[in-house]
Amino acid sequence: MNAKPEAVIPAVYTQGLSKIYDNGRGCRNITLTVGKGEAFGFLGPNGAGKSTFVKMLVGLVHPSVGDGTLFGHPIGSVEARRRMGYLPELYRYPEWLTGEEVMKQHASLLGIRGAQVKTLIREGLDQVSIGRRGSDRVKQYSKGMQQRLGLACALLGKPDILFLDEPSSAMDPVGRREVRELLIELKKQGTTLFLNSHLMEDVEAVCDRMALMLNGEMIREGSVAEMLQVKVRWRFKVGGFSPVLLDWLREESGLPISQIEKQSDEADTISNWEHPVWLEAELEDENQAGRLNMLIVEQGMTLYEAHAEQEKLEDWFLQAVAGRDQRGERG
Amino acid sequence: MNTVIAATWQEMLRRKMLLITLILTVVFLGVFWFIADTIGADGQNSSDVLTRFTRRGAILTLGFFFGGFVVAFLAIFSSFPVISGEAERGVLQAVLTRPIPRWKWYIGRWIGYVSLIGVYSLLLFAAVVWITSVHAGMTRNYEEIVVSMLLFMGIVPVLVSASMLGSCLFSGIGNGVFMMMLYGAAWLGGMIEKVRGFLPVEPQTEHTLSAIGSLLSLLMPADGLNRRMQYVLTQGAGESIPFLTGGSPPSNMFVIYAFFFTLFAFILGLWLFRRKDF
Repeated sequence: MNAKPEAVIPAVYTQGLSKIYDNGRGCRNITLTVGKGEAFGFLGPNGAGKSTFVKMLVGLVHPSVGDGTLFGHPIGSVEARRRMGYLPELYRYPEWLTGEEVMKQHASLLGIRGAQVKTLIREGLDQVSIGRRGSDRVKQYSKGMQQRLGLACALLGKPDILFLDEPSSAMDPVGRREVRELLIELKKQGTTLFLNSHLMEDVEAVCDRMALMLNGEMIREGSVAEMLQVKVRWRFKVGGFSPVLLDWLREESGLPISQIEKQSDEADTISNWEHPVWLEAELEDENQAGRLNMLIVEQGMTLYEAHAEQEKLEDWFLQAVAGRDQRGERG
Repeated sequence: MNTVIAATWQEMLRRKMLLITLILTVVFLGVFWFIADTIGADGQNSSDVLTRFTRRGAILTLGFFFGGFVVAFLAIFSSFPVISGEAERGVLQAVLTRPIPRWKWYIGRWIGYVSLIGVYSLLLFAAVVWITSVHAGMTRNYEEIVVSMLLFMGIVPVLVSASMLGSCLFSGIGNGVFMMMLYGAAWLGGMIEKVRGFLPVEPQTEHTLSAIGSLLSLLMPADGLNRRMQYVLTQGAGESIPFLTGGSPPSNMFVIYAFFFTLFAFILGLWLFRRKDF
């Protein structure tokens, strides 16, 4: 059988990958393909099995059933691990070492030796804003600093794929933004990213595609845009509104307009006539929004505000898991 | 693998466990010097060669009574959290995803512990023998000295192999307790054998005690190696202190058993480690 050309080999490929622990938890039958240079987001509530799946990909956990490859190499093999960087979710570096010594140890494990080690360590520490504190012992680092050091170690040797399990969960807002910008930059440079995160804004900003895990199973997978079904939803804040006018607006514009703030029982009193309400409509373009503005004003209503809103990933996530049983954290 | 060996040495040096052990060893050797001087000086006044020979044995026995404990504790306390403890703290997860086969990591750690503690045990052995030779002379049979030195150093791989195997099976603290209990049981086995040697008991009781002592020694052969080493070095003269060295010394077969015990613990630990999920 001829080997596949490097260009068509996916960065990550799994076929029915499962890990079932004695207590029945873990993850089941995950079939997934992540292309080279793609940024893939992995979402799910706590205990969904995300970390178990990532641990199988990086070789820390042996699959019960199924198999997978990283750049064509079997998961867990030395060749596969040579091409990846991994930032675990819960980890600590030996606290008796300095940040530089931790980096040096990891460089040595990667087979990086000689004069370039010092330069790489310096660049790596600067890249995650540890800088001169690299000469401090790890025990003097805050959680956020340790996470930065973990990221610097994961980036050593310029890996082709980077697995990040909650990469900025312990960081302050500035640190999170820096990490997000770093990930976007890495993506531009062609690094494949596999991001396991609770921080929806990270996934939304960085990832091209994503999957949702729940109770050990992957229940949805697709591009971020598809999953969010990007709708341009417009909202209008209107004064002098009456429910009669809503029917008229629907009829005149032919658009599915709805009121999203209920009026009280005294809807027709003078004061409530003047009380502004919010109207909402899914529109195709700004022209439709302009026509709706005109109709509102034509009928003597006051238009206080109009803006377009997109569905946020957090809303999508909450909707996706709503009403489903969740098994929660591993007990 | 060199990186893992160096990291193990660095850990032992940085965590100061070796430094503390060395300082306390120097204190002990100072005290041991005076003990050896006291016992040896008294013997030197005697024209009886056998008396001097017996006193030399007594000094060596006292020295290695302490030495055996220190080497065992250093080996156990250094290595008991090596796998489960490091996995619990999240140290292993970042290292095992690097392009190094798991077997190399395991063997690297084993070599790291055994080499450093082995060097310490060699120095301790040399110091005890030298202090004894200053105060009570020493055998000129260098073969016996070398054999006993190897037996003393052999305690280290026995304990490290068992400790690393335990670390694949139990939690960090759990393995520490397990190893101490195991070593304690082996020590008790040795004590039973010694008590049997000087207590006037019925043959049937003696047989039962011997069986219990042997079984406990087989569970963990480290203390048995120490007793065998003392027997070889003192040429049997250490038996002059029956509570410390009484009873029959472990046989050659026991030494072979200790070798295979170490090999089995090492291979089983390596096999379990390669299959373990983290």
